[in-house]
Amino acid sequence: MARGSIPILRVGDNLLVTVQTDLHDAVAEAFQEDLLAAIEKTGAAGLLIDVTGLDIVDSYVARVLADTAKMARLMGTDTVIVGIRPEVAATLVRMGYTMSGVRTALNVDDGLAMLPARR
Amino acid sequence: MVTNFMHRLNIDDRGLASRRAFFEITDEDLARLATHRGLAESHSGEVVEKLYHLLLGHPESRAFFPDDSSVRRVKQLQHTYFLGLFEGRCDLAYVENRLRVGAAHERIGLAPQWYIGAYGRYLRLIFDHLFGELGAAEAQAAVQSATKLVLFDMSLAIDTYIAANLDTVARHQAAIREMSTPVIKVHQGVLLLPLIGTVDSHRAEQIMETLLMRVVEEQARAVIVDIAGVPLVDTMVADHLLKTTEAVRLLGAQTILTGISAQIARTIVQLGVDISAMHTRARLADGIVLALSLLGREITAKAP
Repeated sequence: MARGSIPILRVGDNLLVTVQTDLHDAVAEAFQEDLLAAIEKTGAAGLLIDVTGLDIVDSYVARVLADTAKMARLMGTDTVIVGIRPEVAATLVRMGYTMSGVRTALNVDDGLAMLPARR
Repeated sequence: MVTNFMHRLNIDDRGLASRRAFFEITDEDLARLATHRGLAESHSGEVVEKLYHLLLGHPESRAFFPDDSSVRRVKQLQHTYFLGLFEGRCDLAYVENRLRVGAAHERIGLAPQWYIGAYGRYLRLIFDHLFGELGAAEAQAAVQSATKLVLFDMSLAIDTYIAANLDTVARHQAAIREMSTPVIKVHQGVLLLPLIGTVDSHRAEQIMETLLMRVVEEQARAVIVDIAGVPLVDTMVADHLLKTTEAVRLLGAQTILTGISAQIARTIVQLGVDISAMHTRARLADGIVLALSLLGREITAKAP
């Protein structure tokens, strides 16, 4: 999958990304770069990553997601990850990977409510 | 049902070949038995009668045949079964037919004791006729072939019996697990999981899975886990509770642990388990108040 293939939507001051295909190693990296570039360009206040479409999240992808959130934080952007599936959450916890420090929400509505509304 | 057992017992072309090889059933054995089919047919009625004489002669085994019509029916089946030994084949269709016997026995609760005894009678009856009517060498060869096939049948019957039994046990376990993990919706967005009884790792896994599914289904923001009914909280249980809390958090909800007695509080601290990541309350009532406040709600007195 080429860079830029995961669309990044702008909603108010926030960026909204819906991940629908499995993030293989190369894709995950491109995804992270795209997001950070978009944050740099827009100066977004918040970033919402919707992972409802992901059936499988391995430790690598989990780390990419958690790292992206931390990097965004450094750039002044709050991140919320929404829609982690029950089986994904169970697997991550079993592997001891809890993405501590990353904010989570049940759905996009809840996630958006957690992001700053700076307009 | 029977197809399922074929699969469970790993009986496909290869599995069957391997099983046959272990019982040393050769094509010569089958061909030899087929040559005695005429003899079998002429004695089939008598063999079946004598078999049921044994089965109906014991009160315990007799209890499985409630009335004359059921006796007539099983005798007819037995007749077909007996002649099946002399058909000269031992293929997948043959096995499928034999598996029905084991499955039927499990269904009515007839334990292996009774049909192994019956198989014994069967063999003796077959031996009597073979030795009575054939020359010594021929009879001995026929007896060997018949023994192989009958033992082969017996192994199928017992394996099916055990597989069916395990299925029953698994069904019961599933039912118990389901009953032991009730997740109750106490308010919009608030779930309650009252844990009662011992929590082992298997159950802890089950609890986590059920709870996570329900959190997403109900879009719950707060989950109260009440452990007042758990007699013992050790490191393993505490660890599982923490993992569940983490997983619930990944979904975007929060966990509140309630029902912590003085004893449990002491144990947790002495074990050195850090549960500072969890909201905790002594009583369930307090947990409900906290859950509501997490949702920005509160319980207030009605205006007089």
